[in-house]
Amino acid sequence: MKWRKWNNILHRDIGYLVVGLTIVYGISGIAVNHVQDWNPNYNIEKEFLTIEPLAATERQPMVDEALKKLNLDGQPKDSFRPDEETLQLFYENKTYSIDVPTGNVMIETTQQRRVLFEMNQLHLNAPKEAWTYIADLYAFSLVFVAVTGLFVLKGKTGITGRGAWLTTIGVLLPVVYWIYYLYWS
Amino acid sequence: MKRLTFIGIIILLFFTFTAMAGSAKKYGKALTLKRVTKISTILEKPEKYHGKKVLVEGTIVDVCEKRGCWIEIASDKEFESLRFKVEDGVMTFPVDAKGKKVRAEGKFSLEVVSKEELIEQGKKHAKESGEEFDAASITEGKTYIQIDGLGAEVK
Repeated sequence: MKWRKWNNILHRDIGYLVVGLTIVYGISGIAVNHVQDWNPNYNIEKEFLTIEPLAATERQPMVDEALKKLNLDGQPKDSFRPDEETLQLFYENKTYSIDVPTGNVMIETTQQRRVLFEMNQLHLNAPKEAWTYIADLYAFSLVFVAVTGLFVLKGKTGITGRGAWLTTIGVLLPVVYWIYYLYWS
Repeated sequence: MKRLTFIGIIILLFFTFTAMAGSAKKYGKALTLKRVTKISTILEKPEKYHGKKVLVEGTIVDVCEKRGCWIEIASDKEFESLRFKVEDGVMTFPVDAKGKKVRAEGKFSLEVVSKEELIEQGKKHAKESGEEFDAASITEGKTYIQIDGLGAEVK
């Protein structure tokens, strides 16, 4: 039949087009799905050390003293005192938090997770603007590929045979889970 | 010819990205206010600014690590800062924005939450996240102040 031929051609070609984005959204989907357990965008490392307590009481002399005691050459981008006992120094991807009375220092180094960071930004539509429409088009294409996929084969393995059972299972999965979530969880 | 075109595109991209690197990174809607309100002025009389649109500026001293959905902006006075909060996904601030300057516009909000409401929220959060919650740890209510973010420029 002519319509099935076109169905299969479009299913195949649009399928090829969405492979790249499906991989991006799939991998990022797993990454951001577990955001409670790990940071999918950044690798954040914390290091602790102790220096002599800081004697200065004003911010700039305190920063100068801290730089000397930490053996840091470059000036920080900025500094901040969230409270009387804490001094923070901000460098590129690195923050020093110094407990002024004890000299305890926490050094936090932040590094973007290569590739995964970019994938997550695209998945969560951080760029906005044109990406919003590209993502919409992709989502529409996925629906199209899913629907045309139902009619690729005919016969026993098609939508009138085994395909019907598998499709029903796939549709029931979210419905049943949602009912479970609402009434039993 | 093809090679020349390719080199031309690379050079064009290089200059575009170099030019972009120096400019402020914009988030959300474009800033509309011209006059900056000092954070210290807002914090002095927060009730006066409740529900009002403000433009503040300062250094970003903290960022939501997992979702980039808030930034903490240092005040012009010591020991003060103000949170700039956005709905998840509306704007995503990168963690490496810490230490950078920001101009941020949004609606200032002040919310007083009672002890009972905090306990209720804690229980709900514990149920959703599967974490434990000790209601006895809440001994009094809290006042939340923040800017509900509309737009920001980070440099």
